[in-house]
Amino acid sequence: MSFGVDRSIALRHDARRMAAAVRSRPSPIAWLIAPALLLFVLFFVLPFGVMTAMSFFSSNPVSNPNAVLTTRHYERFIVDSAGIFHDALWSTLRIGFITTIISLLIGYPLAHWMARMQSRLGHALVLMAVIAPMLTGIVVRTFAWMTILQDKGVINTLLISWGVTAKPLPLMYNEFGTIVALVHIYVPFMVLTLTGVIGRIDERLEQAARSLGAGRLRAFAEVTLPLSLPGILAGSLLVFALSISAYVTPSLMGGTDVLTLPMLIAQQVGTSFNPGFAGALGVILLLVSLAIVVAYNRILARLSGERGMA
Amino acid sequence: MISRHTMSRRKALRTGAGLAAIAAVGAPSILHAQTRTLKITTWGGKWGEVMKATVLPAFEKEFKCTVSADQAFPFVPKLQSSPRNDPIYDVLHTNSNEQWNSFTEGLVMEKITIKEVPNVADVYPYAVSDKIVGVTIFTSAIGLGYRTDKGLATPTSWKDLADPKLAGVRGGYIIPVNSLGQAHLMMLGKVYGKGLTDLDAAYKALEALKPIKLVDFTGQMEKMLLSGEVSEGVIHDSGVYRYDGQNQPVDFASPSEGVLALEQVLNVTPGSKVKDLAFGYIDYMLRPDVQKLLAEAVWYSPANKKVKLDAKYDAKLLTTPAKVATLIQPDWKWYNARKEDIDARVTKILKG
Repeated sequence: MSFGVDRSIALRHDARRMAAAVRSRPSPIAWLIAPALLLFVLFFVLPFGVMTAMSFFSSNPVSNPNAVLTTRHYERFIVDSAGIFHDALWSTLRIGFITTIISLLIGYPLAHWMARMQSRLGHALVLMAVIAPMLTGIVVRTFAWMTILQDKGVINTLLISWGVTAKPLPLMYNEFGTIVALVHIYVPFMVLTLTGVIGRIDERLEQAARSLGAGRLRAFAEVTLPLSLPGILAGSLLVFALSISAYVTPSLMGGTDVLTLPMLIAQQVGTSFNPGFAGALGVILLLVSLAIVVAYNRILARLSGERGMA
Repeated sequence: MISRHTMSRRKALRTGAGLAAIAAVGAPSILHAQTRTLKITTWGGKWGEVMKATVLPAFEKEFKCTVSADQAFPFVPKLQSSPRNDPIYDVLHTNSNEQWNSFTEGLVMEKITIKEVPNVADVYPYAVSDKIVGVTIFTSAIGLGYRTDKGLATPTSWKDLADPKLAGVRGGYIIPVNSLGQAHLMMLGKVYGKGLTDLDAAYKALEALKPIKLVDFTGQMEKMLLSGEVSEGVIHDSGVYRYDGQNQPVDFASPSEGVLALEQVLNVTPGSKVKDLAFGYIDYMLRPDVQKLLAEAVWYSPANKKVKLDAKYDAKLLTTPAKVATLIQPDWKWYNARKEDIDARVTKILKG
């Protein structure tokens, strides 16, 4: 009898040990996620940590033993006695918002058309057309826009030669030119994100709505659009994040009319040699962007009746 | 006894492989111990081509070393982030303003003397003046570049840039990021005010230059002049003279108030492990034959007085004491100490 009890206890112990061993062994999914996690830690968490640390030092503590802890970089931004830092932040966010909205307005109809396209060949051709600009570097594409929009560029030369205008129109070295170039660069990101989401929406839902008397527009507004909100959110966040961190395009297209935080950061690192202030500007840009992303997520979640979409 | 010392075939192979592995791992360090490496910064473009094709191979051969040349900007932040006792560069080649920044942080030496670099004995005084840390090996003259096909009179003064006819087609620089723009700002203080440090006069004069097309690097200004986007702009002489013989309608004018010096400065990092090689490199760059080769390749005025350029170059570049006397050297130490305030002020002036 006692032997039987002992055996059952031993078996239970074995079972527990095995269960613990299984629990402690990493799942295959964890192994698959590990490289991405490692990349994230190495190329985001670590550099961001170093940048944040630098933003609290008077100079580089590694090379300068006299570096001291300070909050003066943040104070400099908050006080903004020069009157340019807050403008730069607002300008960065404004350019990001406008670029995102225009990209969405251009990208959504295109993505919808692509997602509903029956012909495989047609879909492949349109997809190629969307992706093609991404095969060229951002600098090259921006220079292309410069040749089109500058005073002696294609548009102004034609307008002047046709007598439409006597003076060249101010098409670049301002926010207009910057946004035009940014939209061109980032629309493919919006289209590709939206196409995947819209493509997964069951077409029969829209057909059902129409069979119940809804017009084409109402069926779209009440069925397809709400169901595609996750795509709108993902695409918008992607384009917004890329736009507010853009450096090359605003630098080349904006002239002196446009000053964004990434331009200020590059200035601080490359010509003012002040990595501490550059770090502080980076942290501020990230915090403001995160706040906007959270707010945007909540608004869209409320609109779609879900809680926390991203 | 003999059999105990006889190696089996497998053991011999294993030992051989081990030795080969040790040799493969150890070889670079042995090679490194024999051939020293000099780490320098240098420009790209035509300058970089001549350096890579001719100047550096000859230096490596003569000094029995290898040269690792970095052409990717920005150099100073890289130097800032490297350890001081093992800096990323042994020789820093930049314009004068960046040398002053580096010197202030203790990243480069203050002066290069005849003791370390014998050819310093032959340079023009501006090359080692109190406005320079390190030693100048070449200079360009910052003046006014202009289109010759727009009916414009040859500029004779810096004030000519303010001519109302040039509204919207005059060119300058985004001052916070470009040393030509910074030097031009100081020149505005001299021309319209009490001197190079008269910032109030400079700000007022800058405001009067609007509308002005601004670029962030000189290559872009060259393109704007060539395309006609800009009819007259601030530029260094080499940026215009390099198109000599290409039938381009552009020329360079030296204003009567003087031209600003855009010096090419070499300096040694205090923590360099190959200082003798670094000084040797600077001495080599100041040799008359090397100076002539590079000066004629990129239209830079040589700092060595003994250099004899071909007539075409001699006529245009600063190759005599009289011509060199027209050079104005900005006080970059003074400017850098105020750069943050100046940046903020000019950004506000030029925005919109």
